[in-house]
Amino acid sequence: MKPLWAIAKLTWKAAFRYRLFWALAALLLVAVVALPLLLRDDGTARGFIQILLTYNLSIITALLGLATLWLACGILARDIEDCQLQMIAVKPVSSWQIWLGKWLGIMMLNALLLALAGGSVFLILKGRAKNLPPDQQAVLRNEIFTARASVREPPPDLNDMVNRVFRERLAQTPVPVEEQAMLRQSLYEQARAGVEVVPPDFKRRWELNFGLRRHLVTDEPMYMRFKFHAAQTNLTGTYTGRFLIGPPGTERVQSRMVEGLAPDAFHEFQIPNNAFDEQGKLTIEFINWNDSALLFPIEDGFEVLYREGGFGLNYVRGLLILLSWLGFLAALGLAAGSLLSFPVAAFCSLSLLVVALSSGTMASVVEEGTVTGLDHETGQGGIAWLDAIMLPLFKAILAVVGLLEGYSPIDALSTGRSITWAGLGVAWGQIVLLLGGLLAVLGILTLSRRELALPHARS
Amino acid sequence: MSPMPASRIRLFKPALLGAALALLMAAGGFQGHLNRLRSEEALGLTRVEPLENAPPVLAFTTVALGGFRGLIANVLWIRANDLQQEGKYFEMVQLADWITKLEPHFTQVWLMQSWNMAYNISVKFTDDEDRWRWVQQGIRLLRDEGLVLNPREALLYRELGWFFQHKMGQNMDNAHIYYKARWAEAMEAVLGSGFPDFDAMIQPPDDETARRVRRLREEYKLDPAVMKEVDQEFGPLDWRLPETHAIYWAVVGLQKSRPKDLITLRRVIYQSMALATIRGRLMFLEGADGRRALRLSPNLRLADKADAAYEKMIAEDEEMRFAISQAHKNFLTELVFLCYMNNRPNDATRWLDKVRRLYPGSIPEGLTAAQYARARFYGSMNDMRNDQVRAVIEGLITQSYISLAVGDDDQAAGLLKIANETWNEYKRKTAGQEDRLTLAPMDEIAAAVRKTLLAPGAMEPALAAQLRTRLGIPPPSDPPKPETLPEP
Repeated sequence: MKPLWAIAKLTWKAAFRYRLFWALAALLLVAVVALPLLLRDDGTARGFIQILLTYNLSIITALLGLATLWLACGILARDIEDCQLQMIAVKPVSSWQIWLGKWLGIMMLNALLLALAGGSVFLILKGRAKNLPPDQQAVLRNEIFTARASVREPPPDLNDMVNRVFRERLAQTPVPVEEQAMLRQSLYEQARAGVEVVPPDFKRRWELNFGLRRHLVTDEPMYMRFKFHAAQTNLTGTYTGRFLIGPPGTERVQSRMVEGLAPDAFHEFQIPNNAFDEQGKLTIEFINWNDSALLFPIEDGFEVLYREGGFGLNYVRGLLILLSWLGFLAALGLAAGSLLSFPVAAFCSLSLLVVALSSGTMASVVEEGTVTGLDHETGQGGIAWLDAIMLPLFKAILAVVGLLEGYSPIDALSTGRSITWAGLGVAWGQIVLLLGGLLAVLGILTLSRRELALPHARS
Repeated sequence: MSPMPASRIRLFKPALLGAALALLMAAGGFQGHLNRLRSEEALGLTRVEPLENAPPVLAFTTVALGGFRGLIANVLWIRANDLQQEGKYFEMVQLADWITKLEPHFTQVWLMQSWNMAYNISVKFTDDEDRWRWVQQGIRLLRDEGLVLNPREALLYRELGWFFQHKMGQNMDNAHIYYKARWAEAMEAVLGSGFPDFDAMIQPPDDETARRVRRLREEYKLDPAVMKEVDQEFGPLDWRLPETHAIYWAVVGLQKSRPKDLITLRRVIYQSMALATIRGRLMFLEGADGRRALRLSPNLRLADKADAAYEKMIAEDEEMRFAISQAHKNFLTELVFLCYMNNRPNDATRWLDKVRRLYPGSIPEGLTAAQYARARFYGSMNDMRNDQVRAVIEGLITQSYISLAVGDDDQAAGLLKIANETWNEYKRKTAGQEDRLTLAPMDEIAAAVRKTLLAPGAMEPALAAQLRTRLGIPPPSDPPKPETLPEP
């Protein structure tokens, strides 16, 4: 371990020699301090805190990410180019120790800077919140400065039902083989509509099982969050309904009339505390009082949010996920620096980053099934051979990017959503151990096989 | 390939240089034409004019980013759309600010962003205050920034006017009453009343007025001199009403805009004038619980000017002439009804004559204004039960008493007359069936309404006192004193 720490220490010293590092550190400081003065919020205390949190953490991540990539590329590639690494390589230090030592050094630096910047943001947020009126502070405490988890209904297993009806239909009337897939799809849509659609004057019930968690949320504020689509638009563009919350058929049921609900938007309302029954089941019913059918999507149509923990620890977990991203970038930069010269390594790493950021475009290409775009009249794609090469490549890139993007703590923190320890563990496992580990293996192998004292090296 | 001879090499580079110069000159020649096209707005997407009234950061951004501005604006726009889909609105103001600053002369960007806030985002909220905040954000974006950078764009003035006329003025939004009340309160705070003293605002006589005028100019971007002009031409207008501000911005637009799309501004004026006539009298009624309720009633003093605005538009707007004529016809028939309901029988007859003259057949021949108004009012009463008729009569009397209390004598008399006529009409229709379809005498119904209105806590005490005075009812006597003092 001693050589590892020694190299990490050397990495620190080398990092401070980079002007870019100091420039980015200064930018970081300016961003944290100046951003609150420049941002334009939506006029609410909640909006201000949300935008501050989102933009500050995004800028910190972007600046630290850029610095990490630059440092990681430079610290190894320059050492090789300037023949500095020969001084270490001749000592009893193996390649993996050099590589990991540098990664560790960069990560320690990142951890320090992230802690400083993240801590400053936390203090600024808390300081701002302290000066707000009590009612606004309560809103922040319940909706932003918290860690809320959600409970949803388990998704219904529609396939069982579809299979049964499908078999019955086939038994009644033979269906040609080529039409069976379409029939199955149609039955699936019908079954789905049966769950999602609430016709006029009909009722939809959600049963959410809190189980033992009910003991944790006793007397804590809870919120229902829902979204619906309307089958028909009306004059005002808004809809009315009544929610019945509590064990059905008991006096504990509380009714809430809600008017002016816009479709295609998320709505959030506080619900009465302790509305679940003895088994921890929370029942909420919605009565559709409109002339139009309303559709609550299975995926994000309805959930109940409850307080799972405090903001401070949630924030720390969020920062740790950001650190895992930086760990991946450090591995990427070091892997590139192990093989390429500094400018080429930096260029390649940044290009890969740009590709990763373009995942939206790739996702739409994969969704359409063609690179050159779909002819919507014929339904045909473009060039077949190009699609055959690019589509698998895009899918592979998306799978990798998905591993990174699947854990976005900024979004969760700005909406008061909980980041669990398990989620943090999985994020580190996927981003640092799996993806970073692959890059590390690649980088270490390259470094160990590379001739460090070639005659073309700088003299 | 054989190498190029030395003589050709000598000529090759000067030839390339010459070609480059020639192409550059040709491009320069075309540039003038392109610039002309741009300034004539044939290519509205790219403009070469320097920014007017732009802060240094914005001027620098637009020049430094060049053609990349559009690309960045697209990325921001996509983010805004994505966030909106996810129901996250807290970044919208910031994103709209950046997008519009990247494309400060692109009118559609301003229109789209402000519309999105005032219409699309506002209705996503169920709380009136949340909605109002987003409507204001839309208004501010246009008024405080869009018009500052594009003071000659008629469509921006039109959109701003439309927000006042339609979003706040019409009843399409569940929260429209809240918008009207909040706007009226804001204007009262800065103008003192709905009918301000414009001369005092132009030449403030004291510090307090000067302070209010400064706020009027800085916060609401209203110019007292232009307000006076507008009021003289179209008024007297109640400046607490959104329609008045729609007219104001349309007039400012007509004064400042390029001669393009001006017709849209004129449409705002005549439509808002019609609305201001039909329900342009605003007052707040304070309930016993201290809450203020907004009351809107017709402002028939504006009828002639609104009618003139219609006629002017019909003459000027060839494209929409038929549609405006239809709207004019509806407006005139509405005036017949409203004048009758507000105890202005002569005016009702005057408008009846006009609508018959301009739009023959719109009101059946032979009907007087009174008959037309009554027929229209009773149209829905044919199938009513006696208790429903009583409820209608009680409502009319209640409204009549409230009008009396707030000093709207014409409307009070008109409503009471209609209540009496309704009672008589019902009695006539049910003659011979009194046992089954009984209706209490008119005096009895009126007494019951008075008792309800004047009961403790039903009305704001000052309003109740005014009603008592107008009806000649003595104030309630003090409660009897106890014969013995209570034990301490």
